[in-house]
Amino acid sequence: METKEVLVVGGGPEGVRAALEKAQAGVRVTLVERFPALGAARIPRDRIVAPDACFVNPELEEARVHPNIRILAYSEIQKVRRENGKIQTRILKRSLRVDNDKCTDCKACIQVCPVNMLDDFDEGLGFRTAVDYFNPQTAEFNIFKEDMPVCQQACPVHLDIRGYVGRIADGRHLESLALIRERLPIPGSIGRICPHPCESACNRQYLDAPISICFLKRFVADVEIAREITPAYKTASQKFPEKIAIIGAGPAGLTCAHDLARLGYENITIYESLPVPGGYLWVGIPEYRLPKKLLQREVDLICEMGIEIRYNTRIGEDISFEELQKSNDAVFIGAGCHRGLKLRIPGEDDFEGVVDCVTFLREQALGTRKSGTGKLIVIGGGNAAIDSARVGWRMGFDEVYLVYRRTRREMPANSWEVDAAEHEGVVLQYLAAPVEILGKNGAVSGVKCIQMKLGKPDASGRRRPIPVKGSEYVIDAQTVVPAISQTANLEFLGKSTEFRLTRWNTFEVDPDTGATNIEGVFAGGDVVSGPDIAIRAVAGGKRGAAGIHTYLRSR
Amino acid sequence: MCTGRLDPAIVAKAFKKGLDGLLVVGCYFGDCHYISGNYQAQAKIEMTRRLFEHIGVNPQRLAFKQCSSGEAAVFVEIVNTFDATIRELGPLGGDGDAVRNPALSEKLATAEAVLAGEKMRWVIGKKTPFTTSGNMYGEIFTEHEFNRAIDMIIVEETEVQEILGQLRQKALSVAELAGSLAIPPARIFRYVTALKRKGFVALEGISGRSPKYKLISQEVS
Amino acid sequence: MVYEKQGRYIIPFDDVPADRAPMPEISVDERRNNFVEIETGFPEETAIREAKRCLSCRRCLGCALCWAECKPEAIDFSLPDETLELAFDEVVLTCGQDNAFCDPDPELGFGRYADVLTDLQFERMLSPTGPTDGLALSPLDGRIPAHVAIVQDGRSAEDPGLPASLILGVNMAQLCSAQTRDVKVTLISPLSDEFKARYESQIRQITGLTLIEGTPLSVGRENDSDPLNVAYTSRSDEKVTIAADLVVILTRPDTAAYLRDLARQLDTAPPAF
Ligand SMILES: Cc1cc2nc3c(=O)[nH]c(=O)nc-3n(C[C@H](O)[C@H](O)[C@H](O)COP(=O)(O)OP(=O)(O)OC[C@H]3O[C@@H](n4cnc5c(N)ncnc54)[C@H](O)[C@@H]3O)c2cc1C
Ligand code: SF4
Repeated sequence: METKEVLVVGGGPEGVRAALEKAQAGVRVTLVERFPALGAARIPRDRIVAPDACFVNPELEEARVHPNIRILAYSEIQKVRRENGKIQTRILKRSLRVDNDKCTDCKACIQVCPVNMLDDFDEGLGFRTAVDYFNPQTAEFNIFKEDMPVCQQACPVHLDIRGYVGRIADGRHLESLALIRERLPIPGSIGRICPHPCESACNRQYLDAPISICFLKRFVADVEIAREITPAYKTASQKFPEKIAIIGAGPAGLTCAHDLARLGYENITIYESLPVPGGYLWVGIPEYRLPKKLLQREVDLICEMGIEIRYNTRIGEDISFEELQKSNDAVFIGAGCHRGLKLRIPGEDDFEGVVDCVTFLREQALGTRKSGTGKLIVIGGGNAAIDSARVGWRMGFDEVYLVYRRTRREMPANSWEVDAAEHEGVVLQYLAAPVEILGKNGAVSGVKCIQMKLGKPDASGRRRPIPVKGSEYVIDAQTVVPAISQTANLEFLGKSTEFRLTRWNTFEVDPDTGATNIEGVFAGGDVVSGPDIAIRAVAGGKRGAAGIHTYLRSR
Repeated sequence: MCTGRLDPAIVAKAFKKGLDGLLVVGCYFGDCHYISGNYQAQAKIEMTRRLFEHIGVNPQRLAFKQCSSGEAAVFVEIVNTFDATIRELGPLGGDGDAVRNPALSEKLATAEAVLAGEKMRWVIGKKTPFTTSGNMYGEIFTEHEFNRAIDMIIVEETEVQEILGQLRQKALSVAELAGSLAIPPARIFRYVTALKRKGFVALEGISGRSPKYKLISQEVS
Repeated sequence: MVYEKQGRYIIPFDDVPADRAPMPEISVDERRNNFVEIETGFPEETAIREAKRCLSCRRCLGCALCWAECKPEAIDFSLPDETLELAFDEVVLTCGQDNAFCDPDPELGFGRYADVLTDLQFERMLSPTGPTDGLALSPLDGRIPAHVAIVQDGRSAEDPGLPASLILGVNMAQLCSAQTRDVKVTLISPLSDEFKARYESQIRQITGLTLIEGTPLSVGRENDSDPLNVAYTSRSDEKVTIAADLVVILTRPDTAAYLRDLARQLDTAPPAF
């Protein structure tokens, strides 16, 4: 029989003990530790001991030399998967960049290193330098070379933020824009609407406030327009003939098409059910946040690479999914989440004047719903709800109410959006939940709401709202826009139902390639993640493009 | 002498001895007999100016200008302008500078130590490779990033050299160091701990509740 | 807690603090009944000023000064990372060296005062290989504290994690008195009857350590030069305040996020303490 292989994660005293126990039983052990060396001996927590019995742990040394134990320090488990009774792993072993067999521990390097950093081994009490030892007992030196700064790490597409912001500081705006475009084909749009996870991570917040990373991106995109420059997106000189179909011209689909065209693919067609590109960037996010003209310009730049967008073509109606699959070498699905969720309360389907936010915003964006009168009630607390309310306010509704069942604190919408809505005169009603839509002669006349109070936190960590008995009241209204959430509409798949889906009705895909379980079909964006943010859809598109390229080239 | 040979530590020393201004005039970029001497000179002067600004010397007291040997009129213009600037600033450590005499001369002694240190010399010399072909990992710095790296060394080395300067005279506690330097004791504590780790200082003894630290003499290699 | 990965060490640059540039907007009056873009964009000068605020975070500069200084030529920047594909029959998840802990009660002043430490930090301080060679020192001023208060964070007497946390506290108190001259230590925590029955008499014998049964409320100071005030509710439900020169919080361990992720992918329970 083969010797059993065991993976022990964590090089603290606990992990060392587990590894030793297994190793002594004759099992082969791999001990993986994230930090550059095994941990320190500690103070016991299970018994009161004399001072000289603290910080002794002979097991550490034993584990270091045990023939059955392989220690992988400075290593990260990147992927684990159960397969045929085995656990398959991918482990990244980082380089120490110091050959510790040659090192004589003379400390000459740490005396000259110009970079001081907080020392993890000493729990941030002291300093170490970029080249230094981690655990003084093992005295193994390593160079701390991070892959990227924290802002870039937080960015879903890992934009070189330090690089592009630095170029702006140097006054090299167009070079900055070119650097952004290396990874993001729609900088002007994203630079306007991104909720910027990078800024939430930025180190400068600990000194005063984070860098305005997002708006700086917008700035360089605007510089190009102001200087009336029309750039040409480059494509590789080596061309590939395979036919690729992309469903949906949202940020995921557009980015996927762009990346593939850049790699040299010449037969890319995007099928879009709407008459306009951009997905929610066009029909969700309102014009006052992202001008359509600007979005159109960025889409045009992508199309100039030789990509065709077939508008008004709905897969599943105008062309069946099977047909698309058959006539293409690869398919990317970036169909988004375009079905508004129902409130599931009485009266919702009975009266004229109840429109879900997806439809409401889309009709406004496409020009089929121009104005409104009377009172508008928007129900929900996300960005889509705020957008609907602010759009309603601009359309001329006399009064706009936003009803949310928790408080301002729990609202998922970006705080600056909520501020702006309030500023513009939207009335925000917290701790209120609709229980019935009321109507007269077939038209909405109002919403019956119930007052809520906050109870214990639920699984998401937010406090769960509980209705207060007997507190019902009525707000009259002529239009009601539920903006609870959206889900994917996968009817277009028709008969091909062998797709593996999650319980949220989204595609299950390979985390590395975006491949679905059906060969040659890839997916990305909201249709995989559920309603999310545009830059993560862009990341999904990029992953899909890379996946398709690998797939087609290895076929 | 090629301007590239200029030693910033000597510049600081000259100011410490009472110099009011220094104008370095080199040849134009592209004309350098040693290819990149004038670039190096520019980088060195630029970084020394940043350091001067940090310690409270008006950076206008230091300038790098270019002209060729045939341009007498240009040269005269450069010199006259600089002369006027310095006249306006007045003597070093007076109204023209953020820090006054005699505190300024101690600051300049620190500046000299910073500029003479290996870190500063080495990293300044890396400006051209870092911003064109890249560092050891092939990563290219923007000008801004390079300046940040230099600023980091300026800020930290100034503080460290001030601490070492005090310890050179006698063993001191964190509180005593904080008493004579304008650095918060919590930072001094961190630096002292770091200097101990690096083998520059050691615990001398404890007086009352205050550990005192002494300098370890370094063998000169 | 992972300090290093939080970002680069924060340096008091000369340009700190500097205001973040505000985005110019059109007024509310200009917005009614139209869809004109609200935000008008940074002027160039603003953008450059904002961009210059960036700290250009980078740890190793790649300057190779260490390489130049290393006589045995042990430093090699080109040593590559390795990716290993390995298969196992079994996986054991343990808490590694992240030492993640639940955020202490903000009232206890961690992060606000340099002389409020976590138990993990104090443990390192007491270690012979630690940053102070085992001396208990206040990071605020580098002095030896006359009085150290060790306070329990967010546990009730019934908390199953309480004994381990208290024993760590007791061991730290003993070490502290043994290694640093003239330090008094007070340990403030709720106590269970079981714990008292088992350990109380043993603890009361330790010289220099005072055990107080109570619930810590807050830690703070009025003036920068004052000692810390540690307030707690005593067993008789009275509010008591004592002064301390160093406060150590007994934290509640947490499972690091990456371990939770791993456990989820493996469909097993995350490691707990
Ligand atoms: C009101 C609102 C406001 C938002 N605000 C922000 C914001 O401020 N910042 C931010 O980052 N994100 C925001 N988002 C989210 C963001 O817009 C989405 O996450 C992003 O657009 C998702 O991109 P996607 O490419 O996956 O899908 P989508 O953008 O939804 O695009 C999918 C496209 O596929 C098309 N399609 C669907 N089915 C078919 C079919 N069968 N055949 C052909 N075409 C099809 C659709 O018409 C659509 O054009 C907002 C979303 C909404 C709804
Ligand atoms: S300061 Fe912020 S934006 Fe600049 S590199 Fe650091 S984390 Fe990134």
